[in-house]
Amino acid sequence: MKKRHLWLSAALLIAITGCSGDGEVTESDLALLKTTNPPPTLIEKNTKENLDLVASIEHDVESMKELYDVAVVKGDSDTLVAYKVKHLQRFHMKRIEKKMNKMLEEKYPDENFTVSSDYKIFIEAVELQEKMKDPDFSDKKAKKKLEQIIKLKKEMT
Amino acid sequence: MSKKNSNKTPEQQQYEQLEQKHELQRPVLKNCIRAFWVGGLICAVGQAITYFYIYFFNFTEQTAGNPTVATMIFLSMLLTGFGVYDRLGQFGGAGSAVPVTGFGNAVISAAIEHRTEGFVLGVGGNMFKLAGAVILFGVFSAFVVALIKTLLGIWGVI
Repeated sequence: MKKRHLWLSAALLIAITGCSGDGEVTESDLALLKTTNPPPTLIEKNTKENLDLVASIEHDVESMKELYDVAVVKGDSDTLVAYKVKHLQRFHMKRIEKKMNKMLEEKYPDENFTVSSDYKIFIEAVELQEKMKDPDFSDKKAKKKLEQIIKLKKEMT
Repeated sequence: MSKKNSNKTPEQQQYEQLEQKHELQRPVLKNCIRAFWVGGLICAVGQAITYFYIYFFNFTEQTAGNPTVATMIFLSMLLTGFGVYDRLGQFGGAGSAVPVTGFGNAVISAAIEHRTEGFVLGVGGNMFKLAGAVILFGVFSAFVVALIKTLLGIWGVI
């Protein structure tokens, strides 16, 4: 009887986990598990100057040896920098954030940065970058999404 | 002869020797290994639940802690009710008592034990018999740490 229950629970578990979406797996779905290295994203005007700036920010952040995955999204006024920290370096999260803030402020004094090592923020940034590829996804929606991500980052409880 | 033994009668000393001969040795290393695995398993489940909240809901790493703790306590309460957590506790010892799930177990165990004494004075009065100490000293130590942090902040140390 007990064995039967065990088999039934196992079958139910497999059946439930089998019903997981439409089978299409995007980069943001796997962002928690693997390195995605998303390209820098620009929400405002795609001028060469802005593209160079956002690429330069990503390059500078990626050059920090404690990190292994970086997503940069530049909006009108705010620039979001989400990153993943190497496992053993996670003991020094605050120090890394301080160092990054200092480096970015010194190098790009005109930009307003929001930096985060939170996985959720990283996933959301990758998702936004994926949505930006869709021509139906307007700049207005992208700006709203970026604002939501920054608001989420500031949430404490 | 030591001072401790000098007050004892020869019969008492003889009994003590006999007792020591038959006393079972505590398997400390085995208990530690068991606690390590059971505690680690509970924490791994907690981490999986945290990722679940991050992935499927609008929680960040920082905010996912609260619902994770609530879920873990709820699960341990259910498992205590079904009699599963008691067996886990018997096997894992401190590994099952130290994580937050041990708190849920302490609350429900006391509630089950005293349910025959009625809902108000039995369950209500004794539910926090064990967990009350955890709450009291938890709140008090949180207050002390917060006070120290505030003072250090005011003095500009941190």
